[in-house]
Amino acid sequence: MTQTTALRTAVTLTGLRKSYGDVHAVDGVDLVIAPGEVVALLGPNGAGKSTTVDVLLGLTAPDAGEISVFGQTPREAVVTGTIGAMLQNGSLLDDATVAETVGLVAALHRKPLPVAEALARADIADLANRKCTKLSGGQKQRVRFALALVCDPDLLVLDEPTVAMDVETRRQFWRGMREYTDSGRTVLFATHYLEEAQEYADRVVLMRSGRVVADGSVAEVRATVSGRTLRAVVPGATEAALTALPGVQAVELRGDAATLACADSDAALRALLAAWPAAHDIEINAVGLEDAFLALTASEEQK
Amino acid sequence: MNARFLALEVRRAVRNTRYLMFTVVMPTVMFLLFVNLYGAKGQVFPNGLPVTTSLMLNMAVFGLMSAPLAAGARIAVERSSGWQRQLRLTPLSSLGYVLTKGALGMVVALPGILLVMIVGGLFEDVRMSAAQWVEVAGGLWLATLPFVLIGIVIGLLATADGMQALTGVLSMAFGLLGGIWIPAEVAPGWLSAVMHVMPTYWVKLVGQAPLVGGADLGTAVLVLAAWVLGLGLIAAKRFQTDTARV
Repeated sequence: MTQTTALRTAVTLTGLRKSYGDVHAVDGVDLVIAPGEVVALLGPNGAGKSTTVDVLLGLTAPDAGEISVFGQTPREAVVTGTIGAMLQNGSLLDDATVAETVGLVAALHRKPLPVAEALARADIADLANRKCTKLSGGQKQRVRFALALVCDPDLLVLDEPTVAMDVETRRQFWRGMREYTDSGRTVLFATHYLEEAQEYADRVVLMRSGRVVADGSVAEVRATVSGRTLRAVVPGATEAALTALPGVQAVELRGDAATLACADSDAALRALLAAWPAAHDIEINAVGLEDAFLALTASEEQK
Repeated sequence: MNARFLALEVRRAVRNTRYLMFTVVMPTVMFLLFVNLYGAKGQVFPNGLPVTTSLMLNMAVFGLMSAPLAAGARIAVERSSGWQRQLRLTPLSSLGYVLTKGALGMVVALPGILLVMIVGGLFEDVRMSAAQWVEVAGGLWLATLPFVLIGIVIGLLATADGMQALTGVLSMAFGLLGGIWIPAEVAPGWLSAVMHVMPTYWVKLVGQAPLVGGADLGTAVLVLAAWVLGLGLIAAKRFQTDTARV
């Protein structure tokens, strides 16, 4: 990665590593995000999403690796207002109003948006004089969104932005996001909601155990799991026995109902019927994003 | 340091009812109570200081001690609530944050000092020259610095749950053992010895220095400087480990 290409990218992470004791939270992540991309960082809890985000924001120092945000270090990007972020569980002030809280953060930035505009963009202009303690979970998230926006960033980073929201608020939130991304801003959001990734991101980066296991458009990620899903009722089967079948990557067993993520469903089916002739209600499907997600994230747990 | 940020922080602190009650109004109320309880008007201590004036100074010290303790302790709340993390996504440096909290402590200490002095001058016949008023208020205010640092140290060390109890115990200790509630002159020998180590005792001495001859200002400055230095070192050390744990 040369300096000039790093300048032309919004985010460049190279060989990123971060351990907490024996836990490799981030274990060699390489990621390049172009300006204007909306990228979902998808993965189960503990996949390393939040650590990656913290490193990108300069809140955590990596053990190894290079980070560039529009050619700047994370701290430089924060100081120049190039990067804005909405933190998971970020707190608000309990002795200030919404407008005061956003005003306080705006006062610290060099070229902030007018507070009223940040509130309007986050769709909370009507809450300006409300005390932060008197907000619902969804409203608090939108205040945090305003805090992220107020420095007028080129790159917006959101860590699990919709986690406290009900379905309707979530939809509203993403509608607001759309307006923002339509103006050509770069967005990276961490989520464990598949549908959000599918619906709002240009690109999905799937993480598992501190590594990127798939990266591309939703269609491309789905295609990385070239296999199929085999469902069957298999009386007397055990998870271990099913996992040992040829062509099977991951197994989910509920009672007798087995779901097998298969790399080679033909081989798996032959072996399954040979071992359990009584297996019935057999179905084989091409994988959806959800199955791809399960297959890609589950195979590690089996090891 | 960011002046606009400081102004907003001051506004947050000043609006707090508990701050207004306990650190601005309370010292004045106690002053009025003591003056009238003791019927102290017209009486004069052997060092030439009228008892009313002495009580006014004691309560000013009480006020200037409580305000920065409370302000600094808010750091503990902002540390644990995650607000500090939010601030780390702004150009504000960690040092800038602590310095702002220090400046905040100095600013919020002032109203309590001024109110008790105004009430003393207007309603309780405390008499001194204009220059003395300025010197007394200014001296007391400058001598607030050790308490600002104590507040910051509490804020950096304590948990959000523990800090309330800690500030309570400390302001009791500094008040009682520092000669605010019992004059050093009437305290038993051992207590008097303890008092001479407390910053509170010397802050009071700084306050009354313009009014009585022969006050040991040199020792006062030395003792207070030692407190400032010691607390400053603790704060710096704690602050380093805090920022290193990124």
